Amino acid sequence: MTGERRTIKVDYLARVEGEGSLVVKLRGGKLDSVQLSIFEPPRFFEALLRGRALGEAPDITARICGICPVAYQMSAVHALEDALGIVVDGPLRALRRLLYCGEWIESHALHIHLLHAPDFLGYPDVAAMARDHRVAVQRGLELKKAGNAVLTLLGGREIHPINVRVGGFYRVPTRAELRPLEETLRRARDAARETVRWVAGFEFPNLERDYELVALRHPSEYPLNEGRIVSSRGLDVAPHDFESCFVEEHVPHSTALHAHRTGGGPYLVGPLARYALNHDRLSPLAREAAREAGLGETCRNPYRSVIVRAVEVLWACDEALAIIAAYEPPAAPAVPFAPREATGHAATEAPRGLLYHRYRIDAAGTIVDARIVPPTSQNQRTIEHDLEQVVTAGLDLPEAELVGRCEHAIRNHDPCISCATHFLTLRREEA
Amino acid sequence: MSAARGGGESRVRARVIGLGQAAAGDDGIGLAVLDALRTTALPGDVELVAAPDASALLDLLGGADAVVLVDAVLGGSPGDVLDLAPEDLAQRGAPTFSTHGLSVPQAIELAQVLGDGPPVALRIVGVVVERPNAPRVGLSPAAAAAVPAAAARVRALVGA
Repeated sequence: MTGERRTIKVDYLARVEGEGSLVVKLRGGKLDSVQLSIFEPPRFFEALLRGRALGEAPDITARICGICPVAYQMSAVHALEDALGIVVDGPLRALRRLLYCGEWIESHALHIHLLHAPDFLGYPDVAAMARDHRVAVQRGLELKKAGNAVLTLLGGREIHPINVRVGGFYRVPTRAELRPLEETLRRARDAARETVRWVAGFEFPNLERDYELVALRHPSEYPLNEGRIVSSRGLDVAPHDFESCFVEEHVPHSTALHAHRTGGGPYLVGPLARYALNHDRLSPLAREAAREAGLGETCRNPYRSVIVRAVEVLWACDEALAIIAAYEPPAAPAVPFAPREATGHAATEAPRGLLYHRYRIDAAGTIVDARIVPPTSQNQRTIEHDLEQVVTAGLDLPEAELVGRCEHAIRNHDPCISCATHFLTLRREEA
Repeated sequence: MSAARGGGESRVRARVIGLGQAAAGDDGIGLAVLDALRTTALPGDVELVAAPDASALLDLLGGADAVVLVDAVLGGSPGDVLDLAPEDLAQRGAPTFSTHGLSVPQAIELAQVLGDGPPVALRIVGVVVERPNAPRVGLSPAAAAAVPAAAARVRALVGA
């Protein structure tokens, strides 16, 4: 076998959230295996939640990620409210959507401009890219700031917001307090439109994947906090049924769990899935921008996810402005509740895709059991399948170029390894 | 709304930025040094600012004649206080902590590329810490012992 086996390891994967490693094994000039390994120890958040008061869950789970804390807060409160049998509606529901829009804007803007664009334009990082694309980078930073402004106003601070509670918020804004956001978001909407045009001009490798796309679908809205879990292959279930439809399992090479459909294969959550399954729920402006950018109603090229993210930023600006325009402060900042013994489930749409939470609580309101399934662990197997295709198509490339393509393919899915466990690294070695 | 140095904004003479998170063990060293600086009088034209992560630096590295950044660094003996120029970060291979997209050297470089005001004299006071291997709130003894020396170094750099 000497001379026939080759292993490519990429030890440190830059520009993803966290650390892990990628090991590609080749044998006889052909692809043997691809393993996206996450070796950072898991953080046992689910165990940490046991024995805590249910009201603590949104703030504890927010700590899972510094980029998408709102997603964790939203899935936590909706699952607990499901257990408690309360419904948070009207302005409180709208404010939660507004907060989530802020997170989508800041998270997507960061990924598009600072992390993903350098791959397309051939720069090692955003600082190098900014020398030649200064206006675009400044636009991205302005967009991120606009998202952060929403988080700061509604959440109390931009990282790990502290104003979300089971039943609603600790404090809600007045109309006058929301008003300054309108100007910020109008400018952001213009910037987002420009960003869609910018990323649509990138060159995209040819890769069409037959993903099973999985996302929430709501009767009338582009999905954030509510909806049924649907797939491109006909799945249509309530969030309660998540655990009977999807399985997570340990694999030896990773401390993050791998997910697949029960009795089926891997699937994809995130912008491509949301877009394909909810294209008709986008605002007219976002749909128009998508059309101009050359996106059909479905996009299965993972590289083009950068356009879909930009369209979602535009949509989120639009949606946030609509929410602010219609806002009338609620009578109370939160809906009261009484603890009871029950189990609750919820799925919401984190920027990176479907985020499922399940809690069992006792009569005193203490969490007895918790389950959290983040988007990155759901996508991990699918990312490996993308990599198999990228490596197979690039076997003749110089190794540095092949590694670059692998890194780019991983970043297509904006993995948040901090959420899946904690960190990610990419390693490369010749045997 | 310039991403980096606001040319039209009022400039301060010196800004000290403490980078880090108090709930992340020795990563909070920058904040601890700010606390130490607050215990003694500083000239009124010296501004003290806490930054939670490297991306916050983009807004803080302009609008001042001089900026001193205080952060935890890896490499060397824990407790050592390093006085570094931006270019030393890469040359000395002293990585700083960052998990969210931008490293400190990248944030500094990006702020310099995007900045449109006059250049800022930037120094980095780095406190060498042990590679973190367990969750910890508050500083390790070695890092805590280095706070007075780091604060003194900052004072010297801002002429206080």
